[in-house]
Amino acid sequence: PFQEKSEFCSFKVNERKDFERIHKCHSEEKMKDDSKSRSKKEQQKELKKDLDLDDHKLSTKKLEEKYETNIIQGLTSTRAAEILTRDGLNVLTPFKDTPEIIKFLKQMVGGFSSLLWAGAILCFIAYVIEFTKDSSVSMDNLFLGIVLVLVVILTGMFAYYQEAKSTNIIGSISKMIPRKALVIRDGEKKEIPAEELVVGDIVEIKGGDQIPADIRILDSQGCKVDNSSLTGESEPQLRSCHFTHENPLETKNIGFYSTTCLEDFLENHPHTFLAGTATGIVINTGDRTIIGRIASLASSVGQEKTPIAIEIEHFVHIVAGVAVSIGIVFFIIAICMKYRVLDAVIFLIGIILANVPEGLVAAVTVSLSLTAKRMAKKNCLVKNLEAVETLGSTSIICSDKTGTLTQNRMTVAHLWFDNQIYRADTSEDQKAQSFDQSSATWASLLNIVTLCNRAEFGAGQENVSIMKKIVMGDASETALLKFSEVIMGDVIERRKRNKKVAEIPFNSLNKFQLSIHETDDKRFLLVMKGAPEAILEKCSTIMFNGQEQPLDESAREAFQTAYMLLGGLGERVLGFCHLYLPEDEFPDTYSFDTETMNFPTSDLCFVGLISLIDPPRSNVPDAIIKCRSAGIKVIMVTGDHPITAKAIARSVGIISANSETVEDIAKRLKIPVEQVNKREAKAAVVSGMELKEMSPEQLDELLKNHSEIVFARTSPQQKLIIVEGCQRQDAVVAVTGDGVNDSPALKKANIGIAMGFAGSDAAKIAADMVLLDDNFASIVTGIEEGRLIFDNLKKIIAFTLTKNIAELCPFLIFIIAGVPLPIGTIVILFIDLGTDIIPSIALAYEKAESDIMNRKPRHKKKDRLVNHQLALYSYLHIGILQSVGGIFAYFTAYAVQGFRPDLLLYLRPLWVDDTINDLEDSYGQEWTKYQRNHLEWTGYTAYFVAVMVQQIADVIIRKTRINSIFQQGLFRNKYIWVGIASQIIIAVILSSGFGSVPILSFTTLRVQYWFVAVPYAIVIWLYDEFRKLLIRRYPGSWWDKNMYY
Amino acid sequence: MSKEEKKLNPEDNWRNFIYNPLTSEVLGRTAESWGLIFLFYVVFYGFLAALFTFMMWVMLQTLSDETPKYQDLIASPEYEDSMQEKNIECESGIFFEQKSRSKLACKFSLKILQVCSGLNDSSYGFDEGSPCVILKMNRIIGLKPEGNPSIQCHVKEERVNLVTFPDAGKIDLMYFPYYGKKAHKNYLQPLVALKVNFQPGSEEASIECKVEGSPNLKNQDERDKFLGRIAFKVTLAH
Repeated sequence: PFQEKSEFCSFKVNERKDFERIHKCHSEEKMKDDSKSRSKKEQQKELKKDLDLDDHKLSTKKLEEKYETNIIQGLTSTRAAEILTRDGLNVLTPFKDTPEIIKFLKQMVGGFSSLLWAGAILCFIAYVIEFTKDSSVSMDNLFLGIVLVLVVILTGMFAYYQEAKSTNIIGSISKMIPRKALVIRDGEKKEIPAEELVVGDIVEIKGGDQIPADIRILDSQGCKVDNSSLTGESEPQLRSCHFTHENPLETKNIGFYSTTCLEDFLENHPHTFLAGTATGIVINTGDRTIIGRIASLASSVGQEKTPIAIEIEHFVHIVAGVAVSIGIVFFIIAICMKYRVLDAVIFLIGIILANVPEGLVAAVTVSLSLTAKRMAKKNCLVKNLEAVETLGSTSIICSDKTGTLTQNRMTVAHLWFDNQIYRADTSEDQKAQSFDQSSATWASLLNIVTLCNRAEFGAGQENVSIMKKIVMGDASETALLKFSEVIMGDVIERRKRNKKVAEIPFNSLNKFQLSIHETDDKRFLLVMKGAPEAILEKCSTIMFNGQEQPLDESAREAFQTAYMLLGGLGERVLGFCHLYLPEDEFPDTYSFDTETMNFPTSDLCFVGLISLIDPPRSNVPDAIIKCRSAGIKVIMVTGDHPITAKAIARSVGIISANSETVEDIAKRLKIPVEQVNKREAKAAVVSGMELKEMSPEQLDELLKNHSEIVFARTSPQQKLIIVEGCQRQDAVVAVTGDGVNDSPALKKANIGIAMGFAGSDAAKIAADMVLLDDNFASIVTGIEEGRLIFDNLKKIIAFTLTKNIAELCPFLIFIIAGVPLPIGTIVILFIDLGTDIIPSIALAYEKAESDIMNRKPRHKKKDRLVNHQLALYSYLHIGILQSVGGIFAYFTAYAVQGFRPDLLLYLRPLWVDDTINDLEDSYGQEWTKYQRNHLEWTGYTAYFVAVMVQQIADVIIRKTRINSIFQQGLFRNKYIWVGIASQIIIAVILSSGFGSVPILSFTTLRVQYWFVAVPYAIVIWLYDEFRKLLIRRYPGSWWDKNMYY
Repeated sequence: MSKEEKKLNPEDNWRNFIYNPLTSEVLGRTAESWGLIFLFYVVFYGFLAALFTFMMWVMLQTLSDETPKYQDLIASPEYEDSMQEKNIECESGIFFEQKSRSKLACKFSLKILQVCSGLNDSSYGFDEGSPCVILKMNRIIGLKPEGNPSIQCHVKEERVNLVTFPDAGKIDLMYFPYYGKKAHKNYLQPLVALKVNFQPGSEEASIECKVEGSPNLKNQDERDKFLGRIAFKVTLAH
C-alpha cells in the first residue's frame, strides 16, 4: 500500500514536481469513488506512473527482453502489427476543441439572446391565447415572434461566422506534414509512416529528422538534438548511448518525440567522417511519449474567461437587469391600471425589445474582428476574437528570450585583441562595423576566423543579402562566417586560395577545432579556435600589434580580465590562435595525418578572443520602454544560463540600467547575499533550481516585491507555476511560448502567444494568438490595439445604449398616459439592426484620444467596460434627451393631422377599438380605424426619423470621451461619415414608400418631419461638449467623477 | 488593505454600503454628493421640460384653430377645391359654402327619415322585427363630394328586402363642405336610414352599404374596410 501511495502522490522525475502542485494529491480512498471520476484519476495515475521511466538505466540486453525485440533484426512485421493494434497509432490526439455545434449554440443563447427568446416565446403565447379566443385575430404577435427568432438566429450566425473566420486563419498555418521513419523490421531496413511505429521498433535517425517517438539511443555518431521545446535548453545537445543522469529528461541516451536531430552540415564533405546519425529503440509512442503527456496535460488546465467576456457579461447583466425590472414594474402598473393581462404581456415584450440592443453583438464582433485584422497586419494573428482586448488589458508579459527578445542567431558581439575590447555591430544587418581594423593583429585574427571555420553558404544564394543567406553550419560558425563575409567580402575566395590540407573538427573532449592551410609563401598555416582557456594552454606567445610577444604573466592577466568580462556579459567566448609551420620541417609535400597528429599543437601564438551572443532584436528595447510606461511588467522566462539571461535582460531593458539584484547589491557593498535587504533590490534573477524550492507564498512575495524579474534555467513546465503566481496577483498575464511543453502555460495564461516561426503546432493550438514574426515588439503594438478597442467598445456601447431609452420611453408613456403607441416593435428593430449598425462599427475606427500607452493597464475589477457613469450618462442624460425629442416629433405628427396633444391623453381605449370607425379628432373630423392606424404608423415613422437624427448627433459626440470633437477632428474618421450616410439613406428608403408595406409599419413622411428633432440633436452636441469641457477643466472634481465614463 | 476588506463579513459590507459611519456615506456617496446629483437632475430635467414645453408651444402656434394642417390621411385626395363657390344659400342639392368666420349649419330634418325618424316609433322598428339602421359619412373638413352621392345597400339573402330613407339613400350636397368643430358649431352631418324587412322564414341579413354616385368618394379601399362602405349583419332573435 505504501508503495502505491507514494507512486500516486509524487513524481520521481524532478520536473513533474511542478505539476504536482497543480494536480493536488487526492487521498487514495477518494479515488475509489464513482467510476467516472475514477477513470479520470486512473488516467492521471497512469500519467504519473509512466513517467517513472527507467529505460535509460537498462542495458541493451534488458531492453531487448523488455520489448521483446532484437536490436539487429528489429521486430517481426506480425509482432509489430500486434503491438500497433494494442497501442494504437503513434500520433498525438489532437486537442479536444469545443465542438462547432456547441460554439454555435452558445452564440444562440448567450448574452441578450435569452432575453429575445423570452420575448419571442411571450409573443407566441400571446398569439395562441388570442387565436383560441378569436381565430380572425391579427397576426402581428405571431409575426413579431418569428422576427425575433430570426433576429436571434441571424445575429448568432453572424457572430459565429466572424469567430469561425478568424479561427480559420490559424487552421491554415498548422498543416500536418506526413512523416516517415526508417525502421528495421524482419532484419530489413524499411521506410514506414511514422505513425505506424510501435514500441520495440529499432529506428535509424539522421541529421534533420524529427525523432519519431521517444527512443532509447543504442548507437550514436555525433547526433545532437534540439531539446528546446522540452527543456528550454537552446543549445543542441549531444546524444549518446551512455546513461548519464537519473532524470530521463537529462540523460543523454534518450531522444524525445518531436525533437529535431540536427543536420550534420558537412555530411558529404570529403574531410569529415559521417556524423549526426543514431539508432534507437522505440520506448514510447503517441500520447504516451513525454511530449504527448505534457500536451494532454494542457487540455486539463482550465482556461480563464477572457476579460472582455467578463465585461460583456457584466454589461449584459446591467441591461438585462434594467429590462427585466422595468418590464416587471410596468407589467404590474399595467395590471393595476386595469389593462388586460394579455395587453400587459404585450407591453412587456415591447419593453424587453426596446431595452435589448439587438445590433450590439454584431457591432462588437465586427469591431473585434476589424481590430484582429489590423493586428494581423502587424504580425499578431488572433485566434480567439476576445483575445484582441485581453492583450490590451495585459499587465504582465512573461516572455521567452530566444527568438522573441533576441534575434535567435549567434552574432559576434565583442572582439579582444591588442589588449583591447572592441564592440561589434549586432544589429540585424550589421552594416556599421566601426571598430579599428588597422591593426596587424586584426588581420591575423580575421584570417583565422575565415579559415578555421567549417560553415558554408548554401548554393545559389548570390542575390541574397549576407545576413539572410542560409548557412550550413552550427550557430557560432555561422556567426563567424557572416561576420567575416561582411567585413572582408569574399570568404570563399580566400578559403580557395588557402586550401585546407587537414582538419580536426570540434569535439567536446579536446574543446578546439583545428585546420591547416596552404599559404601564399609556401608555409603552412595552422589555425585553431576553441574554448579560450584550452586555446591559451596551447600558446606560448601572444600577438600585440602584429608582433609576437612571449605570453608572460601580465599578458595572461589581461587575457583573464577580458575573458571574465566578456563571459560576464553572458557571451560565448572563443579563443583564436595560429602558427606558421616552418617551411623546412613541413615542405609543401608534407602529408598531415589527423589521427597521429604529426604536427605541433602547442607553443602556438595567441591572437585574440571573439565573443558571440544571440543579440536582442533592435526594436525590443523601445518596446520594453513602451511596456514600462504603459505599466506593464515584463518578466523574462528562459531556459538559458542566468548570466546570459541577465545580460540580455539588461541590454533590452527588462532590468533597467540603474536597478540592481540582491547579488549586485551584495557585490557592491561587499557583504554576503543574506545580509542584503531584499526590498532594496528592484530586480531579481531567479534560476529554475531556486524556483523549485519556493513555496507559492514565496513566489508571490517575489513577484510583488520586484518589478524586474528574470527567470533563468527554467523548464517550460515552470512557466505554468510562474503564470499562476502572476494570476494570483490579479494580473492579466500574457505568455509567449513555442514548444509543445509551453502549451499548458499558454492555455493557463490569460492570453497565450505562440511563435509563428519557431512555434510547434501544439503551442499554436493552445495559444490565443500567434506572433507571425516571433518579435516581442509586435506584442506591444498588439497591446496598443487592444487598449484602443477597449476604449472604442466603450464608445460603441454608449452609443448603442442611448437610443434604447428613446425606444423604451414610448412604451412607458403609452402605458402611463394612454396615448396611441408612439413607436412600433418592428421600427425598433429597424433602428437597432438598421440605421445604428454601421455608425457603431465606425466608432471602432476612432483614433485614441491621448497616448494610450502612457496609462496603467486597466484594473480587471475596477475599470469596467460599462461603468455606472456610462450607463447613467447614456440612459438618463442623452437617452432622455433623445426620448423628449422623439416624443416631440410624435406629438407634432399627430397635431398636424388633427389630434392635439391634450386629446391624445388617455385616448387609447377608443383609439384601438376596432368597432369605432368615427373617432372624432380635435377638429371634429371623424376617423375610421384604418385611418387611425395609418396615422399611428406616421407617428412611428416620425419618431423613427427623430431618433435617427439625434443618433447622428450621438455618434458624433461618442467619438471622444474627454476631448472636444474639434480636438479629435470631425472628419478624421471617414467611417463615421459613412455611418451617418448609411443612417440617412436607410431612413430615407424606409420613409419614402419602401417601408410602406403594412407589416413594416412605415409611412411616407413629409420632409418637414426630418427637421423636427434637429434642435434636440444640436442640444445633445452642445451638452456633451459642455460636459467634456468641464471634465477637462476640472479633473478630479465631482463633475469629472460622475460624468466621465 | 485588501485583506482587511476580505475580513469584513458580507452583512457588514451591506450595512456599510447603506450607511458608512466612517465616511458618513449613504449608499456609497456623501450627502453632498447626493445633493449635487439631485440638484443636477432637477436642473437638467427642468431644462429639458422647458425646452419641450417651448417647442410644443411653438409647434401649436403653427397650427390653425379651425382646420388641421394636413388631412392627407383621411380625406379623399382627389376632391377638387372649388366647384360652385358662388352658391352660398342653404339650398338642397348644392354645397353650402360660407366665407364668414362663424359658419351657419343647414338644418337636417329628421322627417326625411320617415318611419326610421324615431318620431313615431321610438323603438326604430326593432320591436316589429324590421329594425332601422342609421348610416352616416365621417366628417371631413372641406370635403365636397362630386356628383350625386348616395348610400346604396345590398343584402345577400334573397328573402330580405331593404328600404332606404330618404329615397335611394340620397345625401344632400347642401351639408357640404364641413368647416370644422370650432367654426361650424351646430353642424349636423346628413343621415341615411335603412330599414331591414325580414320575410317569413328568414332570420339573418348580411348587408353591405357603400357611398356611390360620387367619383371622389372611395368605397373600394383594400386595406380600410370602413372607407366609404360598411358591412354588417342583422340577426333576428325570437
